[in-house]
Amino acid sequence: MKRTIPILVAVLLLSFAAQAQVAKAKKGTFALTNASINTITKGIVSGTLLIQDGKIAALGANVSIPSGAEVIDCKGLTLYPGFIDGGTSLGLVEVSSVDVTVDADELGDLTPHMEAITAVNPNSVAIPVTRVEGVTTVVAAPQGGRFPGTAALINLAGYSPDAMYAGFKGIVMNFPTAGGGFFDRRSDEERKKDEENALKKLNEYWDAATLYHRIDSAAQTNREVKVAYNPEMAALAQVIRGQMMLMIEVNKAESIENALKWVQAKKIKKVVFTGVAEGWRVADKIAKAKIPVITGPIIAMPTRESDRYDRAYANAGLMHKAGVKVAIRSNDTENVRNLPFNAAFAAAYGLGKDEALRAITITPAEILGVADKMGSLEVGKIANVFAATGDPLETKTQIKHLFIGGYSIPLDSRHIQLYQEFLQRSHAGEK
Amino acid sequence: MKKHIFSLTILLALLTYDLQAQVKPGTLLIKNGTILTVTKGNQENSDLLIENGKITKIGKGLTAPAGAKTIDAQGMFVMPGIIDAHSHIAIDAVNEATNPVTAEVNVGDALDPLDISIYRALAGGCTTSHAMHGSANAIGGQCQTIKHRYGGVNPEDLRMEGAPRTIKFALGENPTRVHGIGRGVMPRTRMGVEQVMRRSFSDAKAYDEAMSKYKAEVASNPKALPPKYDRRLETLADVLKGNILIHCHSYRADEILMLMDVCKDYGIKSICFQHVNEGFKVAPELAAFGASASVFADWWAYKFEVYYSTAYNAAILTKNKVVTSINSDSGDYIRHLYHQAGKTQRYGELSDEEALALITINPAKQLGIDKRVGSLELGKDGDIAIFNAHPLSSYAVPQYAIVDGNVEFDRAKDADDQRLSVDPVKSTPSFMQARSRHDHDRCMQGVFELMNYLFQN
Amino acid sequence: MKKPSTLFAVLFAVVGLSKSFAQVGEETMKPVTRTYALKNVTIVVKPGQTISNGTVIVKDGLIHAVGQNIAIPPDAKVLPSDSLYVYAGFIDALGNTGIPKPEQPARPTGGPGGGGFRQPGVNTGSPTNEQAGIQPELRARDLIKPADKSIEDWRKLGFTSAHTMPFGRMLPGHTALIALGGTQADNMILRDNFAFSSQLTGAQTVYPNTVIAVISKYRELYKQAEQAKSHEKMYASNPGGMPRPEVDRSLQAFYPVIDKQRSVCFVAPDVKSIYRVMSLQQELGFPLILANVREGWYVADQIKTKNIPVILSLDLPKPEKKDAKKDSLIAKDAELKALEARRAAEMKSYETQAAVFAQKGINFGFSTLNSKLADVRESMRRMIKNGLKEDQMLAALTTTPAAMFGVSGSLGTVEKGKTANLVLSKKPYFDEKSQVRYVFVDGTPYEFEPEAAAPAGRPGAGGGAQASAAAKIAGKWRYNIETPGQSFGGDMVFKDEGNGNLSGTWTTAQGETKSMENVKLSGNVVTFTSVVTMGQEVNLGFELTLDGNKLSGKVKAGDAGAFPVEASKTDPKE
Repeated sequence: MKRTIPILVAVLLLSFAAQAQVAKAKKGTFALTNASINTITKGIVSGTLLIQDGKIAALGANVSIPSGAEVIDCKGLTLYPGFIDGGTSLGLVEVSSVDVTVDADELGDLTPHMEAITAVNPNSVAIPVTRVEGVTTVVAAPQGGRFPGTAALINLAGYSPDAMYAGFKGIVMNFPTAGGGFFDRRSDEERKKDEENALKKLNEYWDAATLYHRIDSAAQTNREVKVAYNPEMAALAQVIRGQMMLMIEVNKAESIENALKWVQAKKIKKVVFTGVAEGWRVADKIAKAKIPVITGPIIAMPTRESDRYDRAYANAGLMHKAGVKVAIRSNDTENVRNLPFNAAFAAAYGLGKDEALRAITITPAEILGVADKMGSLEVGKIANVFAATGDPLETKTQIKHLFIGGYSIPLDSRHIQLYQEFLQRSHAGEK
Repeated sequence: MKKHIFSLTILLALLTYDLQAQVKPGTLLIKNGTILTVTKGNQENSDLLIENGKITKIGKGLTAPAGAKTIDAQGMFVMPGIIDAHSHIAIDAVNEATNPVTAEVNVGDALDPLDISIYRALAGGCTTSHAMHGSANAIGGQCQTIKHRYGGVNPEDLRMEGAPRTIKFALGENPTRVHGIGRGVMPRTRMGVEQVMRRSFSDAKAYDEAMSKYKAEVASNPKALPPKYDRRLETLADVLKGNILIHCHSYRADEILMLMDVCKDYGIKSICFQHVNEGFKVAPELAAFGASASVFADWWAYKFEVYYSTAYNAAILTKNKVVTSINSDSGDYIRHLYHQAGKTQRYGELSDEEALALITINPAKQLGIDKRVGSLELGKDGDIAIFNAHPLSSYAVPQYAIVDGNVEFDRAKDADDQRLSVDPVKSTPSFMQARSRHDHDRCMQGVFELMNYLFQN
Repeated sequence: MKKPSTLFAVLFAVVGLSKSFAQVGEETMKPVTRTYALKNVTIVVKPGQTISNGTVIVKDGLIHAVGQNIAIPPDAKVLPSDSLYVYAGFIDALGNTGIPKPEQPARPTGGPGGGGFRQPGVNTGSPTNEQAGIQPELRARDLIKPADKSIEDWRKLGFTSAHTMPFGRMLPGHTALIALGGTQADNMILRDNFAFSSQLTGAQTVYPNTVIAVISKYRELYKQAEQAKSHEKMYASNPGGMPRPEVDRSLQAFYPVIDKQRSVCFVAPDVKSIYRVMSLQQELGFPLILANVREGWYVADQIKTKNIPVILSLDLPKPEKKDAKKDSLIAKDAELKALEARRAAEMKSYETQAAVFAQKGINFGFSTLNSKLADVRESMRRMIKNGLKEDQMLAALTTTPAAMFGVSGSLGTVEKGKTANLVLSKKPYFDEKSQVRYVFVDGTPYEFEPEAAAPAGRPGAGGGAQASAAAKIAGKWRYNIETPGQSFGGDMVFKDEGNGNLSGTWTTAQGETKSMENVKLSGNVVTFTSVVTMGQEVNLGFELTLDGNKLSGKVKAGDAGAFPVEASKTDPKE
């Protein structure tokens, strides 16, 4: 009896401790067995996917499971690569109507040197809310002005921006456009005039950046040449040199055409168009220029009152059909988790299920130049993987396991915690 | 000249307009579909007959009456027309934001039958919506339940005849921001909102008593005088009598409890809480009161009072036996409420029936029109949505929307430019950037402040 | 010096307005005769009846004789009217003619970041009737200024009488039919308090602000007026044991309407407003005139069946300028082509509205409300081009409104014994090249110089026109900017810098004075820019067109959009 009491106490204490413990990400070797594996790039295979050292170490029917590996039976589940959202404000905006929590929009028209990665809040409440639905990687992009800043690709796990950084940065540019919002009462002529003026201003910026690039290049070989501190131009020069991708946000058909001409005239080497809401109107021209597109949101209104009701749904499919490389984004903050549903709508209205799935996995990875690291389930790639009860583009499907960078991520978020606490409240009506 | 006026007077006295709705109910047979009745299970490979706007038969092997249209729904899913318990489409005025209490105004006076949003809602299978006053005021205006009969210019075509009267109330940030912060008048706080409600009800009660007293007295005393006619108090008195259903914009748990307490004190039994993002926290209290909830599928974090929300709200409320619906509050979301309902299967694993009820019979109950619409039952209105796949699938595409037996949307016949009226001066409609987020147009903030109030929830 | 009016004139002269003084002098010179002879004219007696090579004799304000082979009285002044066309003076069935636009009080508006729309001294929820635009007790008669430039402007186009209503919002006041000539307002009145004017226009930033509140308020006022009227009546017959009735002039103004002794002249341009007004009428039962109707074709049958008096708008939407580049784009693109076809069809609906009404046998007058002086004759020609017969147009400008206002005995035709209200034009009035040469009001002739071949005042026109436009713009203006749900007002002061150049300052709604930058005048269009701080710096670009005594156009506010601006001169003496 004397012995059993301390043991009982110890057991009680242990179980108490276990209860109080917050679920944390766990590193290790994981063998996901008996799974259906949708590799995206190499078909659907059955068997095991082995995660080791943060990467996909092996996959297929004949995978030998190392000793010490945590075996997770995925019978009835399908594995998918983590979804990639090519355009969000995640981490930069917490509560959009509370200005002090909005870090996406720096003052000024020319701020390409504003680094999104600097302001990404790794502990944003929206991050767990997003990743538990299978979106593991997003572009966090600054907004506002002609050159709002430098966007960064981040994995949605990690305690520092550095740990989250996923290997891509791009300079965002809002292409001069005659478009406007609901409140825009400018006449067409006024819009056009504004657009022309804005384009003139953009070209002034670009001429300055080109000059900076020339002087800065000369300074590399000639010590006599002094380059004044100019982080704006230094940022743009990276685009001129082809070291950095230019992400051109452009939506209106006429503006897309103008952007195509501009890119050609300025000989931009690495470029992607984002938004591209009216891409369907000029899809052939985009395809011909071989410029890839990150489009979205798909679940959105048509851009003109005269347009068919489903134009936003059909846009991705129409562009794909014309030969444009199309990735899909949510362009959201707190509801980036709707990315797969945006893909589903694109699928249903013409893109097709396979291509829609690619549009949130391998295609954005290819466009952003990180296809060697993510976007499909292949050996050697980062282990961004989730296990779902079915088609993850269907709302009915549940996600059962999640790995980001090889970490097993707890399926926990504020939304889930509140569900667990309040589904059956423990103290209803008590005083 | 006198003579002229006199004849004019006589002429005008004879005037009675024919402003009544002109749309005739239709007859239609839908063949071979999977019929999701919502209330009475599913029937595969079955037919549904609508005669003169009402569902008259559901079964196999039905034949169409002579001259009736037929839709072959082979491989398709037939469900009740979707009902949106919260929208602002088809009205020209949303907020009378000049006073914290404006019970007397009625958005039904500003119906806009030309709004393209009506067609777009139909294209998402939505056949009925609740056009609501905005949330700038603690007690906003009266709302109008409309049927999406698109194609005419007569506003009366939209009005759902016989639908109960409803009124918009609003708690929390919007009324305190518009009136307290914006105009420097009460309510500035949630405490103030409560007192605005209590004073309004109290004044209405006194007004109603004075009116009753006058009515009782006037027969015996011809000199009795009525209280000065006051539409605001008269409307609120109707709320107290239960003649007008309250639909209250709300987010936080405390304010939800507050309004239930106030209503209890004044004997008001029917409240539908709108948005009610923290309804899940007080689901047992809502159920005990008999209040219902009309929620977003997943909106949160766009303002502070929705930061502590969960997408599992609808599921928690449903499991706690609160009559719950999913609404749009948006010209975009009203086009895919079936998809929004589907999200309750991701967030809380509701059954198909539970999820479909959120956009059909439950909103019908909240609007007091469940005897007419919201399920496929004999005698109910022929309001139907037909999909090419199960409507809760993310891949489902609405094919038809039918109102009163009339096909209002047919995807096969959909064409460009469904506007009823166009600008006579400018041929190309302006480009408008698609928005994904539930945010108001922030570019206007601080510039044209009133506009911000108009487009908030 | 004895009469106050003379004293006033002298004071003017002292201030240094020598021009005004000269005018006073002219006005006071008595005409030698009040008999006029118009020889060798084509007389359009009334729609469908013409006398060619005729003569009209005007004597002591009346039409004395009409016909061929008429002897010229010896006391007649024979005007050089050879080959002119003579019509009965036109009757504007609704406008604001003769009534100066009242100054809008400056409205403090929202500051940055939730500053809202606080208005010191204004309770937005319970404003005064005046702030709320509820002033049915106002009478056009009390507001008319015989010297108001609008009288001269419309007269120049051939209008000799006008049904005029006060400027305002929901309930602007009572209308009057007035003669567009005269020196004393009372003496210009042809029909006083003809109608009770109403609009679905909300108040600016106060209750009732939106159309739903306007309609609700209308119902409430109507029923309160019914109550008050019955209380008054009971009290008058036997006050014992009753409280004294509350006296409210706005409610009292409803009484004749409630008694169906006076019509409500309800401004309802668009089809939605028409439906709203008709349903309000059905509910409350007042006698109705539908006014300034622009989209009436949808409800023409209902208007006909119910015999509602109707006044159609002369304010047609204006087609965009021809643009060859745009046309070629449209020709190449099927979508643009379809959109353009729909737009053109819609434009046709507006242009054929009058013809549709005429075809259905509905009588109608025309209103000039919101019409631009410069566009009105073109609008008439467009309606004629689109199926309205010239006679029908003439009837809508003469005989129909005369009947509507109960003045057929004195106005509307060129017949002996009628008031000598006449229009004389070179070429038939509705011809494109027609020019108004004389207008008679109450037998007083107003002569107009033949217009130059090239229309002056267009952009790019000669320096002379430019300089004259600059002179006209110079002075103090009260502007009003309409934004959705709200409007702002303040002053603008332009200075004529000579040679057609302008400079100026303006005050924001907050009362801040700003200078106008980049002021440019091109023809009769003035543009300028300015920067204001509304939370952030906002670039404003104004573009205003001079039309008569009004400046109208728009202001572009940064990326927020462009908003309509209207300005009227506050010192018309300038």
